Amino acid sequence: MELRCWGGDWGLPSVHAESLVVLAYCKFSGANVTVSPIDWTWRTLTVTTPELVCGDSTVTEPADILNFLRKQRFNADYELTARQGADTMAYVALVEEKLRPALLHTFWVDAENYANLTRPWFASRSPFPLNFLVPSRHANNALCRILLSKVESPLYSITEVEGKLYSDAKECLNLLSHRLGGDHYFFGNSPSSLDAFVFGFMAPLHKAALPSCPLQSHLRQLANLTGFIDNILAVYFSGSQPGSPVPVQETVDANLQKLTQLVNKESNLIEKMDDNLRSSPQLKPRRPEPKPCLANEGSSTPA
Amino acid sequence: MSLAAEAFVSQIAAVEPWPENATLYQPLKDDQILLSDCASSLAVQTYLRMCGLPVQVACKANAEYMSPSGKVPFVHVGNQVVSELGPIVQFTKAKGHSLSDGLDDVQRAEMKAYMELVHNMLLTAELYVQWCDDSTAAEISRPRYSSPYSWPLNHILAYQKQWDVRRKMKAIGWGGKCLEQVYEDVSQCCQALSQRLGTQPYFFNKHPTELDALVFGHLFTILTTQLTSSELAERIKRCSNLLAFCKHIEHTYFKDKSA
Repeated sequence: MELRCWGGDWGLPSVHAESLVVLAYCKFSGANVTVSPIDWTWRTLTVTTPELVCGDSTVTEPADILNFLRKQRFNADYELTARQGADTMAYVALVEEKLRPALLHTFWVDAENYANLTRPWFASRSPFPLNFLVPSRHANNALCRILLSKVESPLYSITEVEGKLYSDAKECLNLLSHRLGGDHYFFGNSPSSLDAFVFGFMAPLHKAALPSCPLQSHLRQLANLTGFIDNILAVYFSGSQPGSPVPVQETVDANLQKLTQLVNKESNLIEKMDDNLRSSPQLKPRRPEPKPCLANEGSSTPA
Repeated sequence: MSLAAEAFVSQIAAVEPWPENATLYQPLKDDQILLSDCASSLAVQTYLRMCGLPVQVACKANAEYMSPSGKVPFVHVGNQVVSELGPIVQFTKAKGHSLSDGLDDVQRAEMKAYMELVHNMLLTAELYVQWCDDSTAAEISRPRYSSPYSWPLNHILAYQKQWDVRRKMKAIGWGGKCLEQVYEDVSQCCQALSQRLGTQPYFFNKHPTELDALVFGHLFTILTTQLTSSELAERIKRCSNLLAFCKHIEHTYFKDKSA
């Protein structure tokens, strides 16, 4: 099974909320899915993300993908009671109705965020002529969606609705925080599809470096929600181990991996500094071939 | 309404008690009103009866245009006009009448979540069946919606409304669904509500809340309205505790009507 979605950044496996939902659910249910990011391909224009390809069939939309995975016997909701299943449906509806419009507004409609963060990111991940088309297409879709579902009378404009949008979203975050309480996951000790949905929508808000976002500062004040996001990232997305192993060992391995990564990063930095020093104007030696570690880094900013 | 206007309305509302001559406006009952509007109107009426607040129901052909947000029903209380269940609940709360005060934070979160589920699934399904299903739109919705107007206005308004609703359905992702999928979604929603209700008389303990009013409004209207196909009603009838719930609320709050 192959999942096509936007690539990752800011410490997340994907920056796109719906793709994150599906990725999280795959980890929770142990589904073996190869992730193929659509960055830098023409699929950024043609494909509606996320998209799951299994044999001949293609499924889009997170809810449909989750249903498909359940039919393939990858079910993270197996241990839920019927009442908890009903609660899942209700909370997912709450998140989609109250939180998603505000997230769309924050990332795609708010001028400062769009110009400084969202558009550069998506434009830099699309191939040459598409980097002009893809971000504006998403922005138009987002604006349409908000206008059609939230703004009722033709006399209202987006500005009148903004205040209501954000206050609804803050209320939704508060309600989720109350429901989560002090637990690790919403139902019991193992994550379910509700955790996937909440994680998928909240993680970009928590991790993105948004220049202006009152909603982000509101989320950061709700310590149990940020703890929930960080916990899922640490347990399911930090190491290269897939599936759901024993948490204690996983965190130990994860810590070790993090330390090794830090050490590697430091040594890379030191090499880079060395190189910068050697290629600075005062010393001026000739370096005919590029160093291998710099080529791996892939960054193109010169010293 | 913007936030500032809402805060202003709440402040003014807190000053005066609920008057005797409060009126609820909805489209004409026999000829014009459609399933979704009737459901919303019944939900508001049930809520006000549960709070013990008197309200007269006035049927006007142009109710949709009089409403401040373009949606029916709306109530005219004193010198304020408030539309839709959410703002009306806040408005009555500002006047000191509330059904959900006894709930704790987690229960309040659940109540809001279930209300969103009903909005997301049941109301959207009703709109879909009314306006996106060609046979229902042609036989029932368009004739009824445009009945108070003469030619050519009736055609123009009916098609405009249909175009509006179809655009909205496409924006929220329901445009690609077929009727069978919509019925399936309604079934799942009813099962979720049925699970949550269990054997209790109301959704939260022994006292009704706005969630009970909303669910009753939608379910009762679907069960008692004649459409081209009775599939929606059949899906609800599969959950017997929801039927019992509707009968109980009808008997408790509307018995003077049915007597």
